[in-house]
Amino acid sequence: MRYDCVIIGGGLSGITCGIRLAEKGASCAVISTGMSALHFSSGSIDLFGHEGEGKTVFRPFEFLDDFIGSNPLHPYARCGSSQIREALFYFRDQLGREDIDLYNNDDANHFHVTTLGTLKPTFFSQRSVFNEKIRQAFEKKSKIAALNFEGYRDFYPELAVINLKRNILFRNIEIISGKILYPDYGDPRRNPFEYRSIDIARIFDTERYLEDLAAQIRAAAGDAAFAAMPAFLGITNFKRHHQLLQQLTGLLIYEIPTLPPSILGMRIDNALKSRFAALGGVYIAGDTVKSGTISGGRLESVYTENGGASALGAGNFVLASGSFFSGGLVSEFSRVREPVFGLRVHSDAERSRWYAPEFFPRDGHPFLEYGVETDERLNPLTDDGQRIANLYCIGALLPHYNPIREGSGGGVAVSTGYRAAELILAGN
Amino acid sequence: MIKLENISFDHCIKCTVCTIYCPVARATHHFPGPKQSGPDTERLRIKNPELLDDSLKYCTNCKRCEIACPSNVKIADIIQSSKWRYFKNVFRVRDFFLARTDLMGSVATRVSYLVNFFIKLFPVKFFLDRFMKIPSERRFPKYAQGTFLSWYNKHRKEQEAFAEKAVYFHGCYVNYNNHDLGKDVLTVLNAINVGVIVTDEKCCGVPLIANGYIDKARKNALFNIHSLEKSASAIGARIVSASSSCSFALKHEYPNLLEIDNSAILDDLDYITRFIHERFENGNVPAMKPVPVRAAYHSPCHLERMGGVMNTIEVLKKIPGLDLTILHSECCGIAGTYGFKKEYYKVAQKVGAELFKRIERVNPEIVITDCETCKWQIEMSTPYRVEHPVTVLARAIDGKKL
Amino acid sequence: MRLMKRIETEAIVIGGGATGAGTLRDLTLRGVRAVLIEKSDMASGTTGRNHGLLHSGARYAVNDLESARECIRENKILKKIARHCIEDTGGLFVTLPEDDPSYHGKLIEHCKYAGIRCEEISVQEALRIEPNLNPNILAALRVPDGTIDPFRLTSANVLDAQERGAIVLTHTGVSGVIREGDRATGVNCRDRRTGEEFEVFGGIIVNASGVWGQELCASAGIALRMFPSKGSMVIIDYRINNVVVNRCRVPSDGDIVVPGDTVSLIGTTSKKVDYDKIDEITVDQDEIATLLESGEKLIPNVSRTRVLRAYCGVRPLIAVSGEMDGREISRGIVLIDHEKRDSVGGFITIAGGKLMTYRLMAEMAADLACAKLNLKKRCRTRTTALPGSERKLDQAKSVKFFTGIPNSVVGSTLYRHGQRIRNILHRDKRNYGLICECEMVTEGEIEYALKKLNAKDIVDLRRRTRIGMGPCQGQLCAYRAAGLFVKYDSATSTESNKMLVDFLEERWKGIKPVLWGDALRSVEFCYWIYQGLFGLGDVKFPEEGEDR
Repeated sequence: MRYDCVIIGGGLSGITCGIRLAEKGASCAVISTGMSALHFSSGSIDLFGHEGEGKTVFRPFEFLDDFIGSNPLHPYARCGSSQIREALFYFRDQLGREDIDLYNNDDANHFHVTTLGTLKPTFFSQRSVFNEKIRQAFEKKSKIAALNFEGYRDFYPELAVINLKRNILFRNIEIISGKILYPDYGDPRRNPFEYRSIDIARIFDTERYLEDLAAQIRAAAGDAAFAAMPAFLGITNFKRHHQLLQQLTGLLIYEIPTLPPSILGMRIDNALKSRFAALGGVYIAGDTVKSGTISGGRLESVYTENGGASALGAGNFVLASGSFFSGGLVSEFSRVREPVFGLRVHSDAERSRWYAPEFFPRDGHPFLEYGVETDERLNPLTDDGQRIANLYCIGALLPHYNPIREGSGGGVAVSTGYRAAELILAGN
Repeated sequence: MIKLENISFDHCIKCTVCTIYCPVARATHHFPGPKQSGPDTERLRIKNPELLDDSLKYCTNCKRCEIACPSNVKIADIIQSSKWRYFKNVFRVRDFFLARTDLMGSVATRVSYLVNFFIKLFPVKFFLDRFMKIPSERRFPKYAQGTFLSWYNKHRKEQEAFAEKAVYFHGCYVNYNNHDLGKDVLTVLNAINVGVIVTDEKCCGVPLIANGYIDKARKNALFNIHSLEKSASAIGARIVSASSSCSFALKHEYPNLLEIDNSAILDDLDYITRFIHERFENGNVPAMKPVPVRAAYHSPCHLERMGGVMNTIEVLKKIPGLDLTILHSECCGIAGTYGFKKEYYKVAQKVGAELFKRIERVNPEIVITDCETCKWQIEMSTPYRVEHPVTVLARAIDGKKL
Repeated sequence: MRLMKRIETEAIVIGGGATGAGTLRDLTLRGVRAVLIEKSDMASGTTGRNHGLLHSGARYAVNDLESARECIRENKILKKIARHCIEDTGGLFVTLPEDDPSYHGKLIEHCKYAGIRCEEISVQEALRIEPNLNPNILAALRVPDGTIDPFRLTSANVLDAQERGAIVLTHTGVSGVIREGDRATGVNCRDRRTGEEFEVFGGIIVNASGVWGQELCASAGIALRMFPSKGSMVIIDYRINNVVVNRCRVPSDGDIVVPGDTVSLIGTTSKKVDYDKIDEITVDQDEIATLLESGEKLIPNVSRTRVLRAYCGVRPLIAVSGEMDGREISRGIVLIDHEKRDSVGGFITIAGGKLMTYRLMAEMAADLACAKLNLKKRCRTRTTALPGSERKLDQAKSVKFFTGIPNSVVGSTLYRHGQRIRNILHRDKRNYGLICECEMVTEGEIEYALKKLNAKDIVDLRRRTRIGMGPCQGQLCAYRAAGLFVKYDSATSTESNKMLVDFLEERWKGIKPVLWGDALRSVEFCYWIYQGLFGLGDVKFPEEGEDR
């Protein structure tokens, strides 16, 4: 089988790249081993949140201009600031077509509240997480009600409220917490104390419980102006039901990202897959690329677990297989390697240097900065130093950046994905 | 020793993603989900088999958890093998007969009119429901008169005359119930200049595995591997199957669940649309007449797991005039014999509800799918007729009405 | 002026390891009023840092006959009184092709001297008993080894003592021994969580603080020298063997694989450490390599399995005579009457020994303490079962009793708490909702541990319940547990946030030495959740006490 482009990895970066290519008429296949890391994400797209020593970045694009100059190996430096902007707004536009509205505070970061009540700088958030009305209510010091289902084991508002109250921004804002009860969900034998966010999202997706839920939310919120709830307010019918809930309660209802599975992330994942399919892309789930044929500095075809001896050929390939978690990198007792093509990897030879002494170190863990070395065109080298001119590496697989410390994972995924697509399109 | 393939639970890093994609956990609250039934409790069962939970019987083995898993844990295999590894096997007449498609088929095809007549009668249905715990809502597929094999034997000579040949694993459904699909396979493969060779085969083992008859399943597997290998290697042919579940069993369940080495045939195994698609890609496309039909395609779970859906879709797209809608991938719920059991019937229907709704929204003239049990389920649960992709292709080739 | 709190009792036991807990229980059973003081949590020192082998004594038979005899005697007693803390798995001694074959015969002979049933079995039989064993072994012996859970054992001793009126003060440091003339009469204490300082007075002070006893003695003006020796172990993700597997050779590094609840442990190494380093020892890379290599020789699947953690403990060896290598020193029990040795009255030390002989040590210490208090009370711990172990455990019965609750939950709770399962589980859905999904720890079990088992933070909770000890090492359940501390009024929200950090840092200590493969994937995921999603590392904590 042959495509214009085969993308290995169906996460944020891979599928963003696929959408861009498919939109320009390229035939694309995405091969994905399992579900992507979006399922565990905050559902917001971070661009750059913290510079060195934990200082908050307020205007990431202004920051990036300087940063790129002094960090030439950083994935952002492979894209350039103007293409990063282009990529991000392209991404927002594509999601908009799938009915997901992303909020951004012009060129500035905004802050969303985490499960533990810390604030996280980010660039795009779903409007149920942050929007203008929330900001206005916040500026007016309106009362907040942190609500949760009685017995929901994955969210404890008390742990968040204490940290919020200690935050200067929340001084003089009254935060109350309240409980609501699960609607009668049919089967009496199920243990509601074991519900995950996904189970609750399905309750919210079902129209017939909405009125009951709205009445409960109204009652629990008292005279608060907005209600904050863990992000489980539905997936498939989210947008309509969220609006309906706000109408029924007269409250602003917004969401706080929770323990996995991430409903916010799933909404984005669904939207991206649906957009890719609408553009004619082929998404092959549950298969793993095992090897490839490289000749004359080009990758000719790849072989997958399910495909056995039959090859997938393409003019260009994109490697978006993620970091250790997704299997893009593999660590062994004393080395880090890239498992499909044996590409050259940036890492440390000595395992004791892979990590910091504390679990929460100030400078982050070095292993998060490991990845496949590439040139400016995102082309990798094989272990024997051969450049592969038609293979592009993107997303969490890339080295020299620390997605968690910098708060840059989403931005790198989207902009390198877009960048690779542009390079491929320009080359043809 | 605990075998390497059985310790995939060790790779589970508890990300919970499988619980999202499990259609059974969504449909019933009795099933705690693949993570808990699979890797979580497998660790406990290794410690002490008494820590076994009954609830894992609700798993339909649809494998959607495995597709979702980013850690390559064979979740469904773990659950499936726990069923026969740890549960005491209680003999149930119903399960015995549901599992023995071979036996039932070879008897029923001799007196198919009688069987088809009786099985529809109210007292029989009542008996099956009440005493055999087979819900009266279920209709059994009709048995054909005689077997596909006996029909094929009359055509063997002409098939052997082709220069290129493929060994066709027809499976029980074609042999005993639906000869037409087998004939369509011949029509399509012949049209791309491939002769069809049929060899001795036994039930692939899927219903045996599902009902706990593992020893019998192993025997069948060994027989099939040997027989297919013998006839394929003699003529250098590939082995095709037009049943996604048979194909899945030959490819995956033999090594992973039955722990039987299938490497002798593994590289030659193809689900039929992959075989056809490859030839189409190489320019070997037969002349086709338009099939001006509005169709909705449903991808069976096991074909999803094998990664073969894309081939079927690509092949269908080549049929002129076919107005094709690809349905969002959902499990139909029947899971082979699962949906024929009274205790699971409601779950099966609830699992399938989403798919039925989506079909209704498309309101197609026909539904297309690769799996015979998906076909039964959709035909029993919706007013739509269901055809195999090969049948649709055959109609495009022979110009007959679909 | 605020008066300092003062507690008066008959006996003070310092150290909440198995020996301290056992001594507390022994004294309490004799009717002596007693207080236990532990600077951290029960079983947080040497007790909780061994491989959990219920020795038959065979491992000592050739080198140390006296220890071997003690072991087999205690082995038989513990099988009666501590049923829910031990598993009678049986043990094997296997000879590998590279091992000296003569040790096999020597072991049989010495086991006979020590009174240990030691049976020679065929290789096929050994493989039947333990299918995961290396099939290339040359010979095998069967001995009555088993496994013992040090956390449960200690906790059950403390629970029994508390139910009989003893006072237990965990997370309480002893800052000094109070002396009146040539007698020690009490100790100065500080609650390490609240900062509160107070005094405890008693007629006799039992120093059961193991290797840390050197400092305690110094504060009483007594010179006692410890020779700490480090032992490292690794934990394998699942129960890779069901029978204790020993290597049949002169004891050396990495020659035992012990199943322990849902996991297996490979033990141990032996390295001398300086006394001033005992609180900061870590596992070295070469130790991990040695342990895995030797573990693989016994059980080949070790090389294909995820390593969950590596940890090390300090053996408290008292120098009775001369300098010795950590391994060759006798693990013999040392009971010191400081009145005789150092002319300090009211103060005794019980040390040395091993987890296996904790009861015997407790008995010896309590005998001496009673003598000092002029009490004539007989020891009852040989026959009085620990709470939870009163009757034989019957899983089928429990499963039936708790119909409706998953077997995996009932079985796991029963396994951890024995008959006390009836105080923990009930058919309320909230009660059996799972919090730790790897180890099947329910909300009810956590509530019980908070209210009855002195769990003051999530690390303590782990020792009571196995929360966070499974493959994910607390990635989902740590947050849930922190929430439950607030829900059950066992901590403020700030404390709860703080204990979440402490718990993850504590888990990290054991994970980082084995950070490769799936362990690294798991850490990446866990770090992503707690830092990437939650920003836990950015939480600012107020100074101690500010929130109270």
